[in-house]
Amino acid sequence: MMAKSPVTKNDLKKINRLVTHFKNNQELFIRFSDNVRALFSSDRLSPYVHSAKWRIKNPDHLRDKLIRKASDMRLTGKKFDITEENLFERITDLVGFRILHLHTSQFEAINRIVLDLINEERWELIEGPTARTWDDEFREYFNKLNIKTLDSQSMYTSVHYVFTANKQKSCAAELQVRTLAEELWGEVDHKINYPHPSASSSCREQIKVLARITSSCTRLVDSIFHSHQENDEAP
Amino acid sequence: MAGIHRPSKRHPSKRIVIYNHKGGVGKTTLTINIAYALALLGKRVLLVDSDPQCNITSYLIDDITLDNLLDNSDGEDGETIWSALKPIVEAEGGLKKIEPIRHGKKLYLLPGDVRLSEFEEALNDFWRECLQRRLRGFRGVTALSSLVNQICEDHDIDYVFFDCGPNIGPLNKAILLDCDHFIVPAACDQFSVRALKTLGHTLLGWIKDWETAVSFAPDGIYLFPGKPKFLGYIPQRFRVYRGLPSSSYSPYFSRIEKSISSEIVSGFKKDDPGLASRSMRDLRIGEIKDLGQLANAGQSQGLPIWEVTEGTPDQKNAALELFEAVASNIIRLTSLSEANVNA
Repeated sequence: MMAKSPVTKNDLKKINRLVTHFKNNQELFIRFSDNVRALFSSDRLSPYVHSAKWRIKNPDHLRDKLIRKASDMRLTGKKFDITEENLFERITDLVGFRILHLHTSQFEAINRIVLDLINEERWELIEGPTARTWDDEFREYFNKLNIKTLDSQSMYTSVHYVFTANKQKSCAAELQVRTLAEELWGEVDHKINYPHPSASSSCREQIKVLARITSSCTRLVDSIFHSHQENDEAP
Repeated sequence: MAGIHRPSKRHPSKRIVIYNHKGGVGKTTLTINIAYALALLGKRVLLVDSDPQCNITSYLIDDITLDNLLDNSDGEDGETIWSALKPIVEAEGGLKKIEPIRHGKKLYLLPGDVRLSEFEEALNDFWRECLQRRLRGFRGVTALSSLVNQICEDHDIDYVFFDCGPNIGPLNKAILLDCDHFIVPAACDQFSVRALKTLGHTLLGWIKDWETAVSFAPDGIYLFPGKPKFLGYIPQRFRVYRGLPSSSYSPYFSRIEKSISSEIVSGFKKDDPGLASRSMRDLRIGEIKDLGQLANAGQSQGLPIWEVTEGTPDQKNAALELFEAVASNIIRLTSLSEANVNA
């Protein structure tokens, strides 16, 4: 049986108002998302990028996210303090852009170009890059690049950046960078566990095993490209 | 070629436009005579001829000088509004500095140019680029604003008046969003009353577009305020009988009043608490009855209408009083709104 939600009626009313506020500003987010797309459509990135995806958050998913946040806050004794004034600043993934690439060694160039573009076009990086990983080898790779790593209990992996158009922070966007194999895991997990974790414990278990396989896949693709390059360079 | 640095701060002069996209409501006559009246009251006034038809420039300067100005405006020594803006249109660097023409002690003119329409065409792209968060777009739409700012600094200007063409094009959008205030002239005819309906709607749309563009704008670039306030309206061109508008005009007075209230005041009072508390009577900042031959004489003689050779002394005195009253109202209302801002 589900435990009674700690979210109050008043919280839910507030959340509905926040979702309406977001819906009323769709035009703003369409513009913002266009600007973000234009930023990362740079020719400088294309040699390293397999494909890209973007989306504006579905209002229903925003509602779920706000309910989860309100619930977490209530459980830890905090007040739900997201308002219409700070919604677009506090929820940083209302606009999301995702860069997919084939193998890990491409990440170094992608990260450098992403940071250059943000800097040159005068965007404000407010969070990241942060790499979520549960694998020691990959953790070491990111640490060598001076990228902060976070453990990942869910076994989700990706590098995240959060940035705004200016210091007013009127809205924020999130960039995710991950390999194609990580994307496979991410998509399966998203379909099965989002917005609510699967009720089937075998599904949840299998998804964790899938994470080990897709991680190995990335690792194998890395190795294939490494060997291929070594072969090319051999006298 | 002397250039202009983009302003780091907006000059405190008040920028005002007398605007109605309906033509033939007497914008130019009104603008120029209000400017003269403000100068009489001791204010330093800059007139910006931002209408490619150059009406205000041809009002103030003689035909030979005007011909010379326009013939040379495209070259290195050009002295018109186009000469200053041309490098922005042709992407050949920054704004060129030009000197306004002084007219009397306190009046300055930034001369117009038929080629200003080329700048207007480029503005279509600049507006689009603003929404794409591109610096070129922001620099383009604020180019005229930067130019005016420089002249205000150099000549210690108190009031800037833009004279606009009668349309809702991209140039007028840049002017309205640069202005602190707008005044609506409304002639007493049914087309002028109808035009008020689209006017409020159009202005509010421009303000919203700019808010969107600004919310993504990169930090550290010059932007105009984008929040013009409604200062009031001026009914015009009616005949008077025994000191009151004659019966054929009085229905238009109430229709104008109604449209001003429903189409403009209702939309603009949200961001302007001072506006909500003003009565319709107080919003009527002047009444310019049919000036008859005085208006035409003023235009052909390049003089304020109270100084022309035509008309009786009584008529001219009445005209002077009328415009001085409008000018005093403008001074009172613009300093009131400044007090509100500082409060």
